[in-house]
Formats: sequence, C-alpha cells, structure tokens
Amino acid sequence: MRKILLGSWLLSLLFCLPLMAQDITVSGRVTSSDDGSTLPGVSVQVKGTTKGTTTDANGRYQISVPASARLIFSFIGYTSQDLAVGNQTTLNVALVAGSQSLDEIVVTAQGIERDKRSLGYATQEVGGNILAQRSEPNLLNALQGKVSGVQINTQSGAPGASTNINIRGITSFNGSNQPLIVVDGIIFSNDVNNTQNTLFGSQPSNRLADVNPESIESVNILKGPAAAVLYGSRASAGAIVITTKSGRNNNNKTEVTVNSSYNVQNVYGIPKFQNDYGQGANNLFNSTSTNSWGPPFAGGPTSVTNTQGNTVPYQAYPNNVKDFYRQGMILQNSVNIASGDANRNYILAIGNTLQNGVVQNSKFNRTNVQLGGETRLQNGLRISAQGNYVQTVSVGIPGGNGASAFGQITRIPRSYDLANESYQDANGKSVYFTPSTNNPQWSVNNERLDGQVDRFFGNFQVGYDITKWLNVAYRVTGDTYADRRKLTLPIGAGRSPLGEIQQDNFFRSELNGDLLISARKDNLFIEGLNANLLLGNNINQRKSQELYTDAASLTIPGFYNVSNGTVFTGSGETSTLRRLVGYYGQLSLNYNNYLFVELSGRADQSSTLPQANNTYFYPSAAVSFVPTDAFKLNSDILSYAKVRASLARVGRDADPYLLNSVYVSQSYGNNVASITFPLSIAGANIPGFGVSSRIGNNNLTPEFVTSWEVGANLGFFKNRLSIDATYFESRSTDQIFNVAISNSTGYSTRTTNVGELLNKGVELVVNATPVRVSGFKWDLTLNYTLIRNKVVSIAPGVKSANITGNSFTGIAPSIYEGYPYGVIVGTANARVQNTDPTAQYYDATGQYAGQYVVNGTTGAFAPGIPNSVISTPQPNYTAGLTNTFSYKGISLSVLIDTRQGGQIYSFPMVDYKNTGALYVTGIDRDQPRILPGVIQNADGTFRPNNIQVPAQTYWGNVGGLASEAAVFDATVYRLREIALNYTIPKSWISKTPFGSISVGVSGRNLYFYAPSFPADPEINTQGAGNIQGLDLNGPPNTRNFGGNIRLTF
Amino acid sequence: MKFINYRRYLLIPFLLGMGACSKYLDVNVTPNNPTSVTPAVLLPGAQAGTAFANANELNRFAEVLVQHLAGASNSPSTYDVYQTNGADFGNQWTGEIYGGALVNYQKLIELGDATGSKSYSGIAKILKAYTFSIATDVWGDVPYSQALQGEKFLNPRLDKQEDIYKGNSSQGIQSLFDLVREGIKDLDSPSALKPGTDDVIYGGNLTKWKQAGNTLLLKFATTISRKEPALATSVINEVLTGNNYITSNANDMNFTFGASVGSQDPRYTYSFISSFQNDIILSTRYLNLLNSLNDPRLPIFFTKPSTNYVTIDNGFRGTLPTPVANWSRYNKYVTGNSGEGPVRLVTNFQRAFILAEAALRLGTPGDPQALYTEGIKASMTLAGLTADQITAYLTANPTVATLSGTNEEKIAQIITQKYIAWTGNGLEAWNDYRRTGYPVLQQSQNAAGIDGTRPVRAVYINNELQQNPNFPNPAPQSNVRVWWDVD
Repeated sequence: MRKILLGSWLLSLLFCLPLMAQDITVSGRVTSSDDGSTLPGVSVQVKGTTKGTTTDANGRYQISVPASARLIFSFIGYTSQDLAVGNQTTLNVALVAGSQSLDEIVVTAQGIERDKRSLGYATQEVGGNILAQRSEPNLLNALQGKVSGVQINTQSGAPGASTNINIRGITSFNGSNQPLIVVDGIIFSNDVNNTQNTLFGSQPSNRLADVNPESIESVNILKGPAAAVLYGSRASAGAIVITTKSGRNNNNKTEVTVNSSYNVQNVYGIPKFQNDYGQGANNLFNSTSTNSWGPPFAGGPTSVTNTQGNTVPYQAYPNNVKDFYRQGMILQNSVNIASGDANRNYILAIGNTLQNGVVQNSKFNRTNVQLGGETRLQNGLRISAQGNYVQTVSVGIPGGNGASAFGQITRIPRSYDLANESYQDANGKSVYFTPSTNNPQWSVNNERLDGQVDRFFGNFQVGYDITKWLNVAYRVTGDTYADRRKLTLPIGAGRSPLGEIQQDNFFRSELNGDLLISARKDNLFIEGLNANLLLGNNINQRKSQELYTDAASLTIPGFYNVSNGTVFTGSGETSTLRRLVGYYGQLSLNYNNYLFVELSGRADQSSTLPQANNTYFYPSAAVSFVPTDAFKLNSDILSYAKVRASLARVGRDADPYLLNSVYVSQSYGNNVASITFPLSIAGANIPGFGVSSRIGNNNLTPEFVTSWEVGANLGFFKNRLSIDATYFESRSTDQIFNVAISNSTGYSTRTTNVGELLNKGVELVVNATPVRVSGFKWDLTLNYTLIRNKVVSIAPGVKSANITGNSFTGIAPSIYEGYPYGVIVGTANARVQNTDPTAQYYDATGQYAGQYVVNGTTGAFAPGIPNSVISTPQPNYTAGLTNTFSYKGISLSVLIDTRQGGQIYSFPMVDYKNTGALYVTGIDRDQPRILPGVIQNADGTFRPNNIQVPAQTYWGNVGGLASEAAVFDATVYRLREIALNYTIPKSWISKTPFGSISVGVSGRNLYFYAPSFPADPEINTQGAGNIQGLDLNGPPNTRNFGGNIRLTF
Repeated sequence: MKFINYRRYLLIPFLLGMGACSKYLDVNVTPNNPTSVTPAVLLPGAQAGTAFANANELNRFAEVLVQHLAGASNSPSTYDVYQTNGADFGNQWTGEIYGGALVNYQKLIELGDATGSKSYSGIAKILKAYTFSIATDVWGDVPYSQALQGEKFLNPRLDKQEDIYKGNSSQGIQSLFDLVREGIKDLDSPSALKPGTDDVIYGGNLTKWKQAGNTLLLKFATTISRKEPALATSVINEVLTGNNYITSNANDMNFTFGASVGSQDPRYTYSFISSFQNDIILSTRYLNLLNSLNDPRLPIFFTKPSTNYVTIDNGFRGTLPTPVANWSRYNKYVTGNSGEGPVRLVTNFQRAFILAEAALRLGTPGDPQALYTEGIKASMTLAGLTADQITAYLTANPTVATLSGTNEEKIAQIITQKYIAWTGNGLEAWNDYRRTGYPVLQQSQNAAGIDGTRPVRAVYINNELQQNPNFPNPAPQSNVRVWWDVD
C-alpha cells in the first residue's frame, strides 16, 4: 500500500512540473463599474481548477497561472467576468454592479458549494448584511418578509421570545416541522425545550436565539427535501444553512471590525379602548368586577369605594394597559478579528447583545465567542476547526394563561389605576380589585423566570486530496448546551399560592461524524460531461437530559432556594438517547454547463424504530437546464433562462421510546386542584403508578414525505430583472402519530402510522433594478409565498385529532380531515342551513342559509355546535417587498410585507369585548342592539331577529370564550423594516486608522394595518411548534428603532 | 510516513459505522418510565382517582345543583344557573374516571389474576363497580362492557344504564351487582400478594372490603329502587341475610388524602389554596335550612370566620361579599385540618338511611324510625358530636327526630337528613335528589340552562362525540333524565 501511494504521489509530481514551467504571474485591480471604487474580497479563480485567490482591501490581486488559463472574477451582487489571461501580466477588471448575478455560488447540503445554475431545486440566499444592524436581535425574525416559501411567526416582543418557522408548510402531524438548522456544518439545535404546560407555562426561547446575527456571512434556505436529502430525515422540513464570517477573503491582511448598535423598544399593537364607562356591570359600579359595563364617567359617580375600602376617583385611565409596559432597549456590540486567505485563515469574533425588555424586569443578555480557522499543510492535508461558546442569560416573567400578569392585564376595568394603586400590602401580599387574583404589577415584581444557557458548538474537519480527482474528508461536529432555569413563585402567587420554586436543568447534545469521499471526473465518456460523485457516511447521536426539582409549599417568605420547599413530588428526570447511522451518495452530472442532473440516495438506520423496520432508503433526482446557453438564446431582453425539476422522497424516523406502552407516576387534576404521587399521607409516602394514556406500537415504520417541484429562473434586460418561480407539491404519508381514540378505551391516544398530508405551493422571487443612473441605484426584491396545506386523511374512522400539546377544552388546535393542518376546533355558532333536511335549523327556502340562529325568547345566540372547525391559521399568501435605494455610500432599504388571510384565535380580544373595554363597546352604549341572525318560528320557518338586547348582552354574546366569536381574520400589512446606512467615503478617512466607517439608523415594525383585528395579529403565544394561531394572553409586539455604527481597522 | 498512517485511519469511521451497528442502535428502551409494575403501586393510584373523581369538579357541579354551595364565579357560577355542556367534565371523564381510576382497576384485575393475587382483583372489582356507578349516574348510558380494553375496542359501544345495573347476558354485559359479588368472592380466594399500606382505603383489611362491597350493593339497589323495585328488594334482602355490611362509622369506605401540597383533597385545595378558591361559597339556602332545623352540624360543616356566616344565594349575580376571607366555606369535617379529607365514598349513615327508606318503600326488614335515628346519630357522631349532644338535639327537635305523616312524607324526612349528612359529597345528594325529589329545592336565581331545568345529567364530553361514533350526536342535553330517574 505504501508503495502505491508513494508512486501516485511521484506521478502527480511529474504531471505538475511541466505546468509550473509555463506559469506567469498576473496581477491587477478590481473595481466597480458604477463608481470606480475598489472591490475587496472579489473571488479570482482559475477556470476549471480549484486554484484561486481574492482581492485585498484595495481591490488588488496577484496569482500565478498558465498563460492559457482563463480567470473568473466573481463577487456577490456583481456580474461575474470570465477573461483569458493570454500574455498579459496586468489584468484590471471593472465588474458591473447591480444586476444580480444569477450564477452565484451557494452553499448546499453538507456544506458543498455549488453553482446556483446547477441546482434542480429552489434555494434562496440572504446575505448577512441584510440581517445585521436591523434593530432585531433574533435571526429568524430578521428573515421575515425576505424569503419566499417560508412562514415565520414570532411569539411576542418579549426578550428571547420564541419564533416559529416552517418551510413549505407542515409535513408532519406530530414531528417537528421546524427546518434543520446548520451552522458552519454543525447541526444546530433549535429546540424550544418546553418543559411546562404550554398553556399555563412560559414559552422558552428557541435556541437559534444563541446565534448572533452580526456574525453571519450568509443564510441559505434549502426549501425542498430534495435540497436536503444529504442531511437525512430531519431536513425533510427544509434546512437553513448558516455560514458565519471567516478570514478566508482577507488576502492575508488582518482586519478588525467593530459593530455597535443601540435600539429602543416600545409596545406596539395594543387595541384602542373606550374611555367613557368604568368598572361594573349593568350600569352599576361593582368594585370587584373585571367588567367596564359600569356607569358612564360623564354623569356617573365622581368617586367610588374600592375593594380595599378606600374612596378613589371614578375616572378613565386611558393608558392603564399600555403603561404597564416600559420602554425596552437593545444594545449590541461585537468585535471581529479576521485574517488569512483561502488556504490559511482565522477569525476571532466576540459579540454581546443586551436587551431590557418592555415587560418590567425582563432581560436578555447573550455573549458569543467564536474562534475558527483553517490551514492547508504542505502535504496537502486541509484542516479546519471552529469552536463557539455562547452564554445566554435571561430573566423573564412567568407567562401563559390564567394566574399570570399577562392573564390578568386583559381584564382590567377602564377606571382602575393600575400604575398608581398600591399593588402589595405591608406583608408583600398582592392587593388588587378582584380578591382572587394577583395584581399584574405584583406578578411582574415578584415572580421570576431566570434562565442561563451555556452552549458550546464546534467542528473539526480534515480533508485530503488523495489524487487530483479524489478527496476524502472527515468531519466531526458537536453541539451541546445546558439550559438552567429557575422559576420563582413567591408565597401568595396565583399559580402556586403556597409558593414554589422549580429548578430545571436541561442538557442537550448532538454529535455527528461524517465521512465524505468525493470524486470528480471531467469529460466522462464524452467531451463536456463532467461528473462528481460523493459518498458519505453519517453517525449521529442525540442525547437530552432534564433534571428538575420542584420545591413547593415554601416555608420562609423571601427565601428562594429549593431547600425552602416542603413538598418535592413534582421532581424527576427525563432523558432521551437516539442514534442514527446513515449512508448516502450523490452523483452530479454537468454537460457543458447547461444541463445538470443530480441523483442522490440515502439509507438510514435509526434506533427509534423497531429493529425489523429500522432501515429505510430514500432517493432523489434533480435536473436543471439552461436553454439560453444551450441554444445560445441569450439576448439583451432574455439574458438568462433556466428550468429545473426535482423529485425527492425523505424518510423520517420516530421520536424515541414510542414503541412500548408504559406506566407513569400517577397524578390527577389541573391548575384548579391537583395531586401528584407519591402522596404523603399521614407521614407515609405512598407511590402510585398508572398506565400511560398512550398505547405504544412495536410495528412502527418510518414516515415519508414525497415531493416534487418545478421551477424557472429567468433573467431579463441583462439580468436587471430576474424571476425565480417555483411550484411544489409534497405528500406526507405513514405519519407516526399518536391518534386520539375514544377515552372510554381507557387511553387517549395510540401511536401508529396513519394519515396523509398534502402541501402545494408557489414561491416567487422577483429581483429588479428599475433605476441605475450615475451612482444612484434602486433595487427591489419581492418575495411571494402561497401554500395550500390539506389533511387528506388521518386514520380510519378518525376525522380529527388534537395536535400534541396542552389545550383548553373546547379550543383544540387540531388536525381535521379536509382542512389545513392546525385548525382550531371549538364551538361554532348555530347557523341556518339548507343542505340537510333532518338538521334542526333547516331552511328549505335557503333564504336564511348561513345566518346565525337566535333564541326567540332571550335574543341571545342559540347553543353553539361543539367540535366545529372555527379557525384556520394558515394564511392565503404572504409577500414581502424590499426597496433599496443607494447613492454613493448611502443606502436606504424599506421592507413592506403582508399576510393575507388566515385566522387568529384571541383570548384578549374576547376579554376586551366581553368586559366592555374595547373601543367599539363604548359606542352608543346606551342604545339597545339586535344580534345578527334569525329566529326559528314554531312551524320551523325563520324570521329575522328583532329582539333588542342591551349593549352588555350584545357584546357578551358576540364575545364568548371558546367560541367562534374569538376568531378574527389575521390579515395585516406592515412596514416591517427601514434601514438607512451611510458609508463614509474612503478618501475622507484615509489619514485615520480606520479602513471603513459606516453608520446607520433602522427601525422594525414601524407601522401595521390590520383591517379585521383590533390589535396586532402577528402574535403567537405558543411560540415555535405545531400549535399556531393562538393569542392566549401574552406580551404584545414591539416597535424598535435605533442607530448603529460599524468600523473596520 | 506520517500521512500514510493517517490515511489508514480514514477507514476507521467506515468500519465503525458498518460493524457495530446493531448494538450501537439498541438504545430505545425508555429510562423514564417503567414498562411493568406491581399491584401495590397500581392500587393507590387508582383509588386516588376514584376519590378525586368524587371530590373534584363533579362534586362542585353537584354541590351547587343540590344547593349545599353556591357558585360565586367561573364554572361553579355557570353550573348554578344550570348551564353545562359537552365542554365540561372532559378531565373528569378522561383523566379521573376512564383513563384514571377505571383503566387501572382493569389492569389490577388482570395483574391480580395473573399473579394469583385475588385480593387485589377483588378490591379492584368493588372499586371498579363503584367508579362505573359514578359514570353511569352522571352521564346515563356509558361505555362499560367494551370499555377499558385499549385497541381491542377502539370505539367501545355505549351500554344502556339499565343493562349496566341489571346486566344483559345476551350482550355480554355483567351487572354492577354481579361485578361487586365477584369481587367479594375474590376476597375469599388465596392471594400471593396481599395489600397493606398501599390500600389507602382499608389498609389491606379484607373484612372491611367485604362489608363495603355489600353496602355498595345496597347503594346500587336504592339507586334503581324506583325503576326496578323488585330487583332492589331482592338485593337488599340478600345483603341483609348475608349480614356482613358496614354497621360502624369506623368501617366507612373513606379515602384519606394528605396534609401537604400535591397530596391534598381537591375540596380543600379548591376552598383554601387554589387561585379559584373564591369561586364557591356556602349557599344561603342551605344555611337557612340548617338554621331552621337548629342543626348542630352547621359550624362543623362550614366555617364562620366573622360574626355571621357569609353566604350568597344560588344563582346570585350581584356584587360579591367582601372581604373574601370572611366567606363561609367547607369546614374541617369535609376538608380535614389541612386537606386530608377524607372523601367519604360509602358510609355507615348512608347504609342506615338506605335501609330506612327501603323499609318504607320496599317493605324490607327493619324499623324505619330506628334506622332513621341510627342514620342521624351515625352522621352526627361522624361530625364529632357526643352521644349526649345528639340526644339533647333529638329531644329538643322532635319534628326532626320523629318520622311522621305518610310514607312519602317520611321518605322526605329521611332523604333530607341523608342530604345533610352528605355535605361534601354532592354526587350522592344529587343522586338522591334526582331519584326522590327531596329535599324540595327552589330554582336558582337567573336560572338559564336548557329551558331552565336543573341538570339531571351531564352532557357527554365533546371529545367522545368527536372520536367515538357510537355516541349519539347531538348528545342528550342536561334536561334529559337518566334511566333510573323516573320523575
């Protein structure tokens, strides 16, 4: 073996010698054709080889090449140029800016850099420069409106709020539908790690919050499963491949970059309230009422006696809800030191983000340290490594429905002076107008949720070119973190009146080892046919452990240590371990750079499936064709055209431990009253177990998503206008799902392979440069997404099932046959219909079909119909339009986006309506009203409702919880983002140590218009996960704006 | 040299990946939950479920309907104006009854039989019968013979309440009576494993379990006595002949909770701890009744933090009394000192009142007056009154002490005393009220519901309607009487 290897080395040396003899050195300067400014970091590559360099800070380059070579100059945002060297030793190049090059290099699965034209599937890249310095510390939020095919919903404006992201719809009933996140090749956990009841508990951050947007070079969204087949099962929901900055393009110069920004945050999107009527009901004051149906301020009492027996003025406090929140701020600082070139480089990046949230006492403080580098040894071995440490410290206020500050803030009478009434007595006990609940001010000042995440992630890769055409690399990546949380509920807290401390230590780690063998052969069989073959092996292990101590019934007030508890029955441990071994291969064929075919396949073996079914194979195929090149069609009008198609199937394994039925430590009850075993009875601890509500299944098989897509990329007018359009369909089958079953079986669910889910959609990206004159440029980007999701079937005899998670009785986020995923099932108003003659409210004439049925005696709505689909969160379409205007060093970008359709189920709005707080409830309040609808006559016919009811009855009827009265259209138009940036001309600062200075101002969520919702409908209390479209009492959104500065040395 | 060695290592991952796969992947046994358990841990978990079902939301529902308590806000105030629908009691049906107590009794019976531990099977059968009686008394026809069998019957059929009580061999339905009889018989069989402290109710005392089983037969017989007097008579005679039933308060079938958070009786948590504690308060009507009878149990049953009892009327919709600290709530008789309860499931006073009523209504053996007095004395003794105090009360209040008038009037007296004795157990009081119409209760203020009818059943939970096509849809409303409720 040694001999052969030595021999091949000698052989390659022989091949090299004659080439070296003919090399010449070429140097030059690359500038922008717009303003003649130099362009640093331009890639200069010798065509047909891996050899290349980049321009330095002054746009200069130098490279040794054979005289026969051609050089390709490429730079993001500029058209690439392909020039012959000939005998020139100086080659200056002016790159044409503005028209987006449609042949960018993109990072695809497994970190493979690919020419975009060769891809048979849709990807979309977002540069780090349009994510950073945007008044938004959360990367996912910063992507809103900037990518097509993607739906992003933020939970709220609270610091560290979790954000849900789905690419191309929902493909799994029960599994995670969040895309796979890959940071520099590291599979990066974006889990929420929810350990509490999703209704009453606080929603933790999704852990992508640990990434600093400032450190990002680019984000590439691989939308379909075809793009991600190499990552295995988890990428069936798409993948987000994040590449952080490196020293690769620094041309051996050391550059120091300093970024600073400061933003303020204010709550935005609180509804408009009436300020004419105060606390009480039926026009009478009632000091304990949460209603504002009391007497009018004009002509009513001037003072009243409150619950504490004090006389207080009876007047409106117009801002009593808004003033509950404070102004928040976000301070971000980062320093990068980077140096090197494509062969040898390093980067050290340190960043800190400090946020004081709009909710009193809330805080988020993240520090990132990154050290990375790569080198190519003399022997051809390429080694790269990167390590990251992140510490995220957060302080939050326990949220969720019920006895939390946010559960109460929506039930404050208009005449209650929340800001100035004392919220606690001398003993620190809550003082409030309703005796049974905590004052929200008391809650935010006494209840806390502290969290600290310490995270380390990194990679190590060695690669070696065995021959010119064969490369072997091994990469190990690891991502591990501990999330330590402490929930403090003092004695007297509504959630836990005797006090409670929960210590929650969450540990998660993921290790991946990937062997990658890549072979390349040009002119395979025929001239112009180039082939790449990639073979890989992946070994994966994911481990999680949660240790929790629940110390209830505290003894000493104000001492918040678990040793202060007397009952610990809520304590325990939950661990998971799963492993997977995958083998994959990909063959890419390129014919004359205009026809591309890619075939991939992967076989996975997973620990979570029964041994008999634990190996599964899934293939994909993609083809891409550039007719403008193939038929030499390109003209100044149609400059570029590419058509593509792909077909892919991805298998997905189960969650761990679904195969067996188990027993659980028994507990009964809910937030009203509960017991948990072991019971402590008369001094003895009595353990108690019971069967779990889920029936296991030892015959599970993998679930599959089969999808296809077709698309086209078209460039017009020298690519000043480009269109990237995609149509896709995906079909998910054999879903591993805990199907709800009749509770009288003794169980609630059984795990089985069932169901079918269908997604269809259109994605459209339009880029245009309408104006480009003497240094002024106007660019626009439009992203449009339309997705239709449908639950085709669930299980035989099962029409609907709850989505896993906690829900209120009668407000169940569900999978419902024939509807999009995630509809809310609840009680619908009874309506007249003319399809079923046996129905109670049947109108043969059809005249009143669809109208509400009203009780002929009371004038109120007739009893509703339970188990009806009352809300569909899926929007009709979303679109975002970015306009960027630049002139010399000034650039202004404005992002407007819209979400059309889709519904939101809102507790606060029902509360505000029911309690008479909302503005509309104050209009003509003294006038009687008639509910819309019809009354059934004795003979079964109908007449329009003519029964007058008071305003309170009216708004109570149109506003009941757990009914369709809580459902609103969530259509919204939004001025999402404005960013103004100015780069000081280099000539001004040439005498200073600075390489460049840029300053900017930016704002987020500056204005919105929601035609059918009294507040901001972009709220999603349940955060990241499969339950969407619920607004269940949480902090509102915020409007952020501020300034930033960026310096390089 | 160096890098040649290195190349060799490149192959290692491949070898690792291929060779050790099956062991590497064999990690799917959950470390978080047991996959098998002993009867000793199933029994307390299931018993607690029965007690919780009796004392939690269903108790608040029934206590408000029988006007022991009044609803001040949230769900109790809704029940108080007779509003209930399929969105109510999902947790009770699913978490407490079918998926809580019952499925674990079913497992316990299987496990007891499999391990030759018939004592566990016997106890489980008696408690299974009791818990099913809660389900059928509250909801009417319910899944019974096909229930609790997991994937064997994914959509269990509903058995008629008549068949549940009487059995129906053609449909393979065992009567509740036979289920109890079988349980009692099991208790006489040898048992490898014997219950001890894990039996929270009787500490493993099988004699007491037999007595409880027989007394339970009396309860079931009384429940159906107006619909099926002959069957009821024969069951009562059978039990009296066997002469092994509860005759002392000490043998009451009680589940005692603990004094610390997470171990407490839900009635205690709901009255004093939970953020919902101000949802419920002593009813003005019940206060007036007890006052009119000079009943000495009033201060034992309910608290009086200030000079007077603070109550509201049923269905009241005005400003609630303040401060809430002065409200009259369940006293320690119901909740225990710190939440111990107990939940009284089957009692000695109940047995005496049952036999008194049966003697009058069915002509079964026994002196109605003597049994009536025995019932009052048992209840008052249970409440902590001394024999002298009880005698003094009965002497001073002859209209209470002595049955008089027609049989129907006497039954009204018996049920009224039984109703008082059942303070804290609304389900039993509600069963008697629906069956006999006693004590006569006035409509709540603001009564709404279905045609203003005080609910005579609960509505099937929405989830069952959604999942199980055997449930009638639309479900019978809360104004439709169950089978044994004849008028």
